Amino acid sequence: MTASSARQRRLMARALSRAADASVAEVLASTRGSAGVCRRIGVTGPPGAGKSSLITALARRRLARDGDIAILAVDPTSPVSGGAILGDRIRMEDLAHNPRIYIRSLASRSSHDGLADNLADILEIVESAGFAEVILETVGVGQVEYAVRHVVDTTLLVLMPGAGDQIQAMKSGILETADVFVVNKADQPGARQLAAELASVLKLKAPDRRGSSDDWQPPILSTSIQDQASVAALAEAVDRHQAWLVRHRDVDERLERRRAQHVGSLVARRVAEVLKELPAELLHLPLTSLYEAVVERLTETRPSSGVENDHRSRGLLSKAR
Amino acid sequence: MTGTSEAVLKGKRILIAKPGLDGHDVGAKVIALALRDAGAEVIYTGLRKTPDYIARIAVDEDVDAVGLSVLSGSHRDLVEQTRASLEAVEAGDIPIFLGGTIPAEDWPDLYALGVKRIYTSEMPLADVIASIAETLK
Repeated sequence: MTASSARQRRLMARALSRAADASVAEVLASTRGSAGVCRRIGVTGPPGAGKSSLITALARRRLARDGDIAILAVDPTSPVSGGAILGDRIRMEDLAHNPRIYIRSLASRSSHDGLADNLADILEIVESAGFAEVILETVGVGQVEYAVRHVVDTTLLVLMPGAGDQIQAMKSGILETADVFVVNKADQPGARQLAAELASVLKLKAPDRRGSSDDWQPPILSTSIQDQASVAALAEAVDRHQAWLVRHRDVDERLERRRAQHVGSLVARRVAEVLKELPAELLHLPLTSLYEAVVERLTETRPSSGVENDHRSRGLLSKAR
Repeated sequence: MTGTSEAVLKGKRILIAKPGLDGHDVGAKVIALALRDAGAEVIYTGLRKTPDYIARIAVDEDVDAVGLSVLSGSHRDLVEQTRASLEAVEAGDIPIFLGGTIPAEDWPDLYALGVKRIYTSEMPLADVIASIAETLK
């Protein structure tokens, strides 16, 4: 890493910290926009499925394509302390010396959908820094992480053999929305069975998919990071899906979907902020009044500094009395 | 002493790194968990990392501090090299904390090399966390 490239990396790293730390009000005050120029790949799946290691192998493969790659890896924030251990990059060490790779660990903070606060802004910063591709690793808690599909173009669901109830546990949501299914650690016993189960579940879930040749048929790939050919096949499946998107999906539509996710995440955070600031007295109100009080606070003004919030609390309290 | 239950390090990102060849990371992991419990976001490198690698992660992850854990006795060299690696990538402003088996007679030299604070295993964990929080305030 040369000093000048290090300087650029540090500037971007700092911009990412500021974006991650931004309050809802600060996000609304900033005027960033997404050009949607970057290939965005999301990788989700249960803990232990080998997501980080597979991303490492996949990223190395995908460096053969044009441009640099950023990897964003989300780990859970402790709800008790607000702290986090960000350990995904330990398994990405092979990439850490490559100047064309940037790895950033993110804590989920107040997000409960496997993503991180202000992820939309973080992705936009990475995009405008000139990366050709972003690979996003979700927290990996299991069932709720289909939110990732709203911020990426191609969603990979990574499963591993041996955890037999995985498919049952995910029967809705992610199974319907993943673009590529990956049976990782395919050298382990049970891999073939898992792939077969997946195939039958997918057939049941999406009978209409068989009809039209224009529809994307999510492939089921077996991978092992020791087997380079299997990783190459995965890298190609991502290309195929990206090419399919270009042919069949409107860019504007994708950007609109992202914007909807973005505003949804901001509203959810704002609700959390309002609830946190809510004076305890209000909690004695009947549910309907309490709900109205919360909605009133959400719609009253733009979220702002603590001082104004104090004024608002007082106003609302006197009304409540 | 308030213990480590308060989020005194909320909003801080800290890199815990093991440079050099010793293979003992229990101390580093204990510190990493205590930092997390104090509200910090902790990036842990794993064992046997080079100073250049540590400096690059410090830059890419935009950390507020680098904590080096050294039990091999070569703390002087490793601190000097890590410091140089950080400066080479214009990140010499990131404070370095040092933990491990560090004889008291070496402390003046280590401070002279730019180490902010030195912690040994005899120190109560809560004091270590409080000291880090105070330094990063």
